[in-house]
Amino acid sequence: MIGLSHYLIFSTVLFGIGIFGMLSRRNAIAVLMSVELMLNAVNVNFVAINRFVTSGQAAGQLFSIFVIVVAAAEVSVGLALIISIYRHRKSVDLNNFDLLKW
Amino acid sequence: MSTAAANLQLQDAVFVMIAIVTTGAALGVVFLRNIVHNALCLVLTFLGVAAVYFQLNAGFIGLVQILVYAGAISVLIIFAIMLVMDKEINQTNLPIPSLGRRIAGVYITALLVITLVLAIYFTAWPLATGAGAPFDAVGMLAELMLGDYVIAFEAAAVLLLVAVVGAVILAKGVEKQ
Amino acid sequence: MEISLLGTEILLATLGFLALVTGLLPGRAKSITGSMSLAGLLLILVYTIAHFGEEASLFQGIYLVDNFAAYFKMLFLTATLLVSLGAGRYLERFENKKSEFYSLMVFATLGMVIMASAGDFITLYVGLELMTVSFYILTAFLLRDGLSTEAGLKYLVLGAASSAILLFGISLVMAYTGTTVIGATAARLMTEPAVVAGIVLLAAGFAFKISVIPFHMWTPDIYQGAPTPVTNYLSVASKAAAFAAMVRVFMVAVDAAPGLTLSWNLILAILAALTIIVGNLIALVQEDIKRLLAYSSIAQAGYILAGLAAANAYGLKGVLFYALLYVFCNTGAFIIATAVEVDSGSTAIEAFRGLSKRSPALAAIMTICLLSLAGIPPLAGFVGKFYLFAGAIQQGYLWLALIGLIMSMVSVYYYLNVSRVMYIEKAGKQEPVKGSGAFRLALWVCALAAIFLGCYPAPLSNLAQQAIQLFL
Repeated sequence: MIGLSHYLIFSTVLFGIGIFGMLSRRNAIAVLMSVELMLNAVNVNFVAINRFVTSGQAAGQLFSIFVIVVAAAEVSVGLALIISIYRHRKSVDLNNFDLLKW
Repeated sequence: MSTAAANLQLQDAVFVMIAIVTTGAALGVVFLRNIVHNALCLVLTFLGVAAVYFQLNAGFIGLVQILVYAGAISVLIIFAIMLVMDKEINQTNLPIPSLGRRIAGVYITALLVITLVLAIYFTAWPLATGAGAPFDAVGMLAELMLGDYVIAFEAAAVLLLVAVVGAVILAKGVEKQ
Repeated sequence: MEISLLGTEILLATLGFLALVTGLLPGRAKSITGSMSLAGLLLILVYTIAHFGEEASLFQGIYLVDNFAAYFKMLFLTATLLVSLGAGRYLERFENKKSEFYSLMVFATLGMVIMASAGDFITLYVGLELMTVSFYILTAFLLRDGLSTEAGLKYLVLGAASSAILLFGISLVMAYTGTTVIGATAARLMTEPAVVAGIVLLAAGFAFKISVIPFHMWTPDIYQGAPTPVTNYLSVASKAAAFAAMVRVFMVAVDAAPGLTLSWNLILAILAALTIIVGNLIALVQEDIKRLLAYSSIAQAGYILAGLAAANAYGLKGVLFYALLYVFCNTGAFIIATAVEVDSGSTAIEAFRGLSKRSPALAAIMTICLLSLAGIPPLAGFVGKFYLFAGAIQQGYLWLALIGLIMSMVSVYYYLNVSRVMYIEKAGKQEPVKGSGAFRLALWVCALAAIFLGCYPAPLSNLAQQAIQLFL
């Protein structure tokens, strides 16, 4: 019988893949995608909590909606930044699309 | 009784299948070298997560997930990739990360995931007594948003305004002198 | 519910919208945005001070109006005011985006105010994100400067990742307790592996936000790339906001949990010690004033974290006291760094050469602020560190207090190095550094506060005592 802990483990794996992407990629957009994976993992947790722990209340789903709202805002700002950087760099030096080095 | 049990087993099997597909797609986001393939895998991951929501009786969140993530955010990401892409797709390909970086990444990730999975597995969840009956989440969400959580709701509205203003400022750039 | 309880929040939101709208006015009319924002912030600060002492728990503990929140609200508003006043001629680099600058500053302040008052994790998270998203944009505000936009993107990626870590911690705790209200969490927490993992992730998420070693990677690059007034604001206010939320979460939810035996104090104490040591040591070799202040701010966050690790009356009082005096001293130093940058076009420490001849007042105030940051008596920094270390000793962390003391002495070296450059080396130029009246006002407020709070700390210390009463 699948229960809360299975969902939490599934989301932990998703979260871990996101962390790995953050640590290993060197490209701004790829890193941003990894962060989205992490946020999705968190949302799976909240929705699962809503189903198994706080049954009859909607606090978990509410939390996940706020996370989605914030993630959308962050992505729009992030992509505007990427475009701005690209515009700036294009004239200088950019053979490879490899913006974010760390 | 037996049909109920069979139904439960079917649900479990569905979850396992969704989980495998979603995890595979997520691995594709991180491991494939072509950034367009990464983005397509990301869309698949978003859809897989939406399927998990449906399976958890959270239809509304599932729809929001499809609309916002699989719809809007994916399109934004793909647009950004297209805008900054070089003429040759091969030049847009991502460099293979250095060995040291990959080893460090694998090491930290493995440590974190194994610790967390063990912690979750060995915890007795006192309140998780099994799935409750489905309920009208949308009505409740509306009441919570405009009731107890109204400050968070208003702050989120301001946050969206800030994001729009910021995105316009940043994407518009500066006028040439 | 009395609407006046939410006065600070409502007024801030209104001011932010007004600043955006007045930016759309034609021609010279839009230049009122600056003075209007400053006047508005001052009014809101007065309103908040006048309403200090109100206690209310709104929406069943989801939003808390108490002395602790009020103290931090005053701190954020003071910081916003001083930074906006002191930015001076640097604002010209923002060209036609000045009104957006003020508006984003006000909205960031609103986010911080919500964080300090949040009684549940959802409100805390949204407030936090309102603050950080405003900061991502402000960091990238110099669109002609590639470093600034790149710093903005780095901040966004690391900020979003650290939020995700924080959220994962919250979700594990919530899966166990079934509530998002911080006050209701404590009673249900037990010593279980997943709960401990959740609290550790929570601490790691906060550690990113206050740039504690080893989660500090983002700080120097972002501080260097961001416009100098924004760096100033980031280093004082966003850290204080993260501390406000962290103190509330750890004191109310973790420290007060009867069923939880977890030496979270020790974890934080070790992090604090690491931060103090590494931050100060790396600061020793910096040659850029912004990077120097960035590493020094990492070290300062370590001192404040030591107070939270102590988690007793002295330590918490120290956290609040130090956070406010840090606003004055660090802002003073940054305002002068901004003026010198505008004057010379460089952020190298070299640019301060001979400042004592050119503008003796600026050099004197810079020295006062830096010595206060180093903790030299009779300046305010000494009193703050006294509270923090006394708290650590009381909790049995003598080693932490010793590390703090020794590293404070080390820090005197790099702070005084700036003074050496100002007083001993010869200047290339002779004319004084220019500054407006607002700029001078902000500077004198910072310098006088650094001296006054050092000689006569009782009033502020009493205020801090009242603010932490609810945790003891």
